[in-house]
Amino acid sequence: MAAAAATAAAKGNGGGGGRAGAGDAVRGPGRRPDDLPREAHPGRPGSDGERRQPRWLVIAVGLVRAYLAKGSYHSLYYSIEKPLKFFQTGALLEILHCAIGIVPSSVVLTSFQVMSRVFLIWAVTHSVKEVQSEDSVLLFVIAWTITEIIRYSFYTFSLLNHLPYLIKWARYTLFIVLYPMGVSGELLTIYAALPFVRQAGLYSISLPNKYNFSFDYHAFLILIMISYIPIFPQLYFHMIHQRRKILSHTEEHKKFE
Amino acid sequence: SKHPDPLHTLREVEILDAKTREKLCFLDKVEPHATIAEIKNLFTKTHPQWYPARQSLRLDPKGKSLKDEDVLQKLPVGTTATLYFRDLGAQISWVTVFLTEYAGPLFIYLLFYFRVPFIYGHKYDFTSSRHTVVHLACICHSFHYVKRLLETLFVHRFSHGTMPLRNIFKNCTYYWGFAAWMAYYINHPLYTPPTYGAQQVKLALAIFVICQLGNFSIHMALRDLRPAGSKTRKIPYPTKNPFTWLFLLVSCPNYTYEVGSWIGFAIMTQCLPVALFSLVGFTQMTIWAKGKHRSYLKEFRDYPPLRMPIIPFLL
Repeated sequence: MAAAAATAAAKGNGGGGGRAGAGDAVRGPGRRPDDLPREAHPGRPGSDGERRQPRWLVIAVGLVRAYLAKGSYHSLYYSIEKPLKFFQTGALLEILHCAIGIVPSSVVLTSFQVMSRVFLIWAVTHSVKEVQSEDSVLLFVIAWTITEIIRYSFYTFSLLNHLPYLIKWARYTLFIVLYPMGVSGELLTIYAALPFVRQAGLYSISLPNKYNFSFDYHAFLILIMISYIPIFPQLYFHMIHQRRKILSHTEEHKKFE
Repeated sequence: SKHPDPLHTLREVEILDAKTREKLCFLDKVEPHATIAEIKNLFTKTHPQWYPARQSLRLDPKGKSLKDEDVLQKLPVGTTATLYFRDLGAQISWVTVFLTEYAGPLFIYLLFYFRVPFIYGHKYDFTSSRHTVVHLACICHSFHYVKRLLETLFVHRFSHGTMPLRNIFKNCTYYWGFAAWMAYYINHPLYTPPTYGAQQVKLALAIFVICQLGNFSIHMALRDLRPAGSKTRKIPYPTKNPFTWLFLLVSCPNYTYEVGSWIGFAIMTQCLPVALFSLVGFTQMTIWAKGKHRSYLKEFRDYPPLRMPIIPFLL
């Protein structure tokens, strides 16, 4: 079962913004080893998939309630800020799990995905207060939220040995919209942050100084945005390819039932 | 009646693709004492795009590559030998790679040292730094890479002739990139000399020089271990040269001295990018040293137990 979940995870994920999907797309669950069935971890109550599920629902529910309460979505970021930071940073544990071998995923790929999300939350959204009311923040948060809810549902149902085709379909289809949505949100947020970073000289150091070093965070952010150009199409088309493989495979199986 | 002499029966060799099992080549009337190298040359005749350096021949499709020196009749094969072929990809000689990756930093650093136009503001074009340490740093950096180039040409004895072509792009990006990054700051008009002044520079220079001499001594000692043209492997031991006494404590003292040189250079220039370069280099060399140490232990029963891979007593 773990092998099946891990293989399925290795074949792609349900979406997620930008490079955040990288880890999932290639090997094992890029984000969380919920694919640990009871057999593999006899001491643990319940699977990680089931325990992880609620956190994204918490964020989703938080979003909906805040919207209903305030009638506008501009201050939504503040409502979900704390849980978002907490859970997304907690995802760093997933890297540790890969490193110490509980999870058969690649440490490099998991790190890449988790780091890119942590970067966006802390180094961009949190650090540049002025972008927190931007629509683009909502865009990627919603994309990430929906992705993760579908993904963990997929894992949970798989573990229960009862995976409705709908969930599998959703996981391997919705990314087509969610992935570009997340990437757009991320890029727009970074872009919106640029003028404030420049103005404040945020995280930047210039010459002269006694360590003979300089760093321009503004230029760094631009480089990050440019890096999406080669990376995003590769990941996206890889997932499209996986989709074709997985979903047509299922069709064939259905024929033989 | 004479029995057919097995030592002189001509053999047949068939070469199959390791992945597709397609029959690529059939050689008949092969001398039993032919080496794998000779078989590779024969194979190239029918498939000229696969020159010997990019051929990997093995007895098992997933097995280890056979060595060029292996002799056909000594292999566990019958009168018809089946060999599996894998293409290693375009190859480039080690010497070429080393020369290219070392010539780059030598040249690039000098571009920054002489403040060639378009690097710093126009008013600084072709000006000279007023800090002694900047001139000293240029001498040290240049000496280091000239030494490496000369060692590549005259000292090192490579056990492999070639490496995959893509390595040259990877390696050159690393060496040339870091050289440019370091040189930019050290030769910058706004460069700040070391906090503890001449004292710091003198100490750092001493470390650098000692480590350069040490590194060279180890390279010479390793060369003397292996006669020209051979691929023998022996345990290296300290010689009369005191710099080689580090062999008592470490398997790869050449790497130890190399890290030391760069730490010296970092202290001399008090430049963070140099420290980062040292750290990255140290990480890579530690990986190599651990690998080398492991193969020494596997190959030699009587390997000195006190030795660590790269840092005495620690790592």
